[in-house]
Amino acid sequence: MLEVDHLVTGYGGVPVLQDVSLTLSAGEIVGLLGANNAGKTTLINSLSGMYAPMSGRIRFEGQDVTAMTPKQRVEIGIIQVPEGRLVFPEMSVRENLLLGGINARARTHRPRQMDHVLELFPRLQERLGQKAGTLSGGEQQMLAIGRALMAEAKLLMLDEPSLGLSPLFVQYIFGIIDRLHAEGLSILLIEQNLNLTLRHAQRCYVLERGKVAVEGASDVVKDDPRTRRAYLGL
Amino acid sequence: MRQEFYKTLMSPVWLVILVLAAVLPPLLPSYYLHIVILSLVYVALASAWNIVGGMAGQISLAHSLFIGTGAMLSTALLLKLGVNMWLGLVISAVISGAMGAMIAWIDFRFQLGHLSFVLITLAFAEMGTVIVEGWDFLGGASGLLLPQDKGDFLAFQFGGGIGAFWVMLVLAIASILINVAILNAPLGYYLRTIRDNENAARAIGVNILRYKVAAMVISAMLSSVIGTAYVRYLTFADPYLLVSPIIIIEIVLFATVGGLGRAYGPAFGALLLVPLGEILRGKLGGTLPGLHYFIYGVVVIAVILMSPRGLLPLFEKWFSRARPKAATTK
Amino acid sequence: MAEFLQALAQGLLIGSTYGLLALGMGLVYGVSGVVNFSHGDFISLGMFLCLALYSALALDPYVSLVITVPLMTVIGGLVYWYLLRPMVGHQFLMVVQLTLGLSLVLQNGILMVFGGQPARTPSVVESKLLILGDVVVRVPHVIAFVVSFAMAIGLYIMLRSTDFGRSIRAVHQNAHAAALMGIDVSRVQTLTFALGIGILAIAAALLLPGTPIQPAQGLRYTVITLIVVALGGMTNFVGIMLGGLIIGLSEAYGTIYLSDTLGMLLPYGIFVLIMLFRPQGLTWSSSR
Repeated sequence: MLEVDHLVTGYGGVPVLQDVSLTLSAGEIVGLLGANNAGKTTLINSLSGMYAPMSGRIRFEGQDVTAMTPKQRVEIGIIQVPEGRLVFPEMSVRENLLLGGINARARTHRPRQMDHVLELFPRLQERLGQKAGTLSGGEQQMLAIGRALMAEAKLLMLDEPSLGLSPLFVQYIFGIIDRLHAEGLSILLIEQNLNLTLRHAQRCYVLERGKVAVEGASDVVKDDPRTRRAYLGL
Repeated sequence: MRQEFYKTLMSPVWLVILVLAAVLPPLLPSYYLHIVILSLVYVALASAWNIVGGMAGQISLAHSLFIGTGAMLSTALLLKLGVNMWLGLVISAVISGAMGAMIAWIDFRFQLGHLSFVLITLAFAEMGTVIVEGWDFLGGASGLLLPQDKGDFLAFQFGGGIGAFWVMLVLAIASILINVAILNAPLGYYLRTIRDNENAARAIGVNILRYKVAAMVISAMLSSVIGTAYVRYLTFADPYLLVSPIIIIEIVLFATVGGLGRAYGPAFGALLLVPLGEILRGKLGGTLPGLHYFIYGVVVIAVILMSPRGLLPLFEKWFSRARPKAATTK
Repeated sequence: MAEFLQALAQGLLIGSTYGLLALGMGLVYGVSGVVNFSHGDFISLGMFLCLALYSALALDPYVSLVITVPLMTVIGGLVYWYLLRPMVGHQFLMVVQLTLGLSLVLQNGILMVFGGQPARTPSVVESKLLILGDVVVRVPHVIAFVVSFAMAIGLYIMLRSTDFGRSIRAVHQNAHAAALMGIDVSRVQTLTFALGIGILAIAAALLLPGTPIQPAQGLRYTVITLIVVALGGMTNFVGIMLGGLIIGLSEAYGTIYLSDTLGMLLPYGIFVLIMLFRPQGLTWSSSR
């Protein structure tokens, strides 16, 4: 479904991602691991079209999307839940969800998607009229995921969904991720939490200083000594 | 760093300028002499403004107050109280310096951002216009007329034309040299640090208030002195010309076109645009008033879009490419 | 007492239009961080377009809106797209200089076309008066008041309950997140700027009847707008409209109870104090 081919991305001529290749099949959960500054967020933002790559190609469902704008990528179903959640703090939960589905493809289905999201997150139903900025961290993460689902994601990319959440909420969020996977959604999971990711993802990539250091099925990656090394940034 | 300044001072270019200055003006028709003088006025003003606007990165629109004080107050003191214009020049400069210090202090005390600084100084500029237009002592809306220039040096008279040319030349060169001196002195270094990152400068213990006040006072006093000399040349103290925010907007745009923060950038911009504007005004001003301002606006927009650091860096690049041996030292 | 009430009415009526002028600037600032120093010159442009339409076709300023609003909206969109959008990512101060340059271009473009003499554009309602007890108000002022508030309420509803309005607020609150929703940020910024200039076309026609106009007036309008915006908070709708009323009132009372000069200084004095002691007036306040 997603093929990233020798991607090089950087800022101001300095590459951050150096020759990254990865694939993700329909219905798969793929984990993307790595220490801080390994290039995970740069990669996910390249997939969202926020940065133009210096070289390499990105294909989605057989289509070359390398030159597409962020808007076009949202319209074909590549949706990101950004690090730090980035909900719109001064808007209500309902408005946040409506904005999630603002793209041309999802716009007309918003009532139906809204029902689905609220069924998934009953907590949001209770908070519908409340400003997003007043929600707890866990609730904001629910909203951020709900907002992405409103966009009718085909590929859902989650950037550090466990960041700053209590263990209970982390468990809950990963339960939701499993459920979405069971419903057939393809998921790219970016995490620092190594064990959690290895448990939920089918396959993993470990990034180290902008390069793929290890890749393979989760249990293989788990036992590879290079994983720990890349992870600790040694 | 000091050597850099002396090197500039010893440059043979000055000799060339001096010779040209001695030979050319008497040969020029008075209309072209006027354009030369006007260009020098704006070279001086843009360079004076550069100390605050370029080096410290604070787009001050309040400089029309200092120019206006130098022009209107010294004239009013002479006409209304009989104060010698040399003394008037000093009084105006001191008052301008005090106003500058006050603005710098306000900026520091309230930690205005760059935007708030622009807005507040614009408000001060507008207030200055309203005050001058409403206060008869300063001539009100109709302005003041200085006595004819008979060339009495002790009465701040230079005999018009060529005399005014020399005065303006001295002021323009002084203004540029002050720029060079500051850029090569600790003050210039601290101003750039403050411009690039005020918080970092604060963190490493730079006395921000002192340098902001110093820059603003130097710039304000210089602008005031130039204002006094300018009004003596014009003879008519016209508030719409000398106190209007338009004069400072022009200066900001000249400096931007030339290159902000560089010693010669603003001077370059003024030398380029003033003659262009004046010749256009002379040729087409009757049929198309405002054309020269229109052109200034178009030029500044084009320069910002195409070479945001100004035209001088662009010319330097061409120059050093044409003569690779003479690489410019920075 | 009659004088007091007269000034009250006058100040409120004119102040409402000042509020409308400031709404456009606040919207643009909120969405793209641009403080437009040519704001007042666009108001001038709107007024002189009305004058031109009156001279050529004898159109009443209010009727001219049919032409000036779309025209100015398009001009605004083009200006943002070709001049301001390329500045994204550059030092913010360059945008200040660029809009100052634009101000010179507009002001003197108008001067070249129309000349520098003060001009008037008559309207059928220009000299009509409304007499309420001791207070006499001019009908154009009443129209300005009603239209300004209607526009403000309309804009408020648009921002709250349409997708375009929500996109504008999303770009303001977090442009990165807005882009991730599939919102074309540049497009929203361009349309908002166009909308802001379109609003100015309306405000220009509202201010026009009975007001002599001249090309050099632009900067004054820019400053008045900045004062109102600083007073009300860049995008606080209620605050901006209130700010407009306060400036309208302070002008009206200032010229009656203080000398002319002091009256004209009053708004600037208020502005400086607000900037110093309530700097958040220039940032977003609670009701975005």
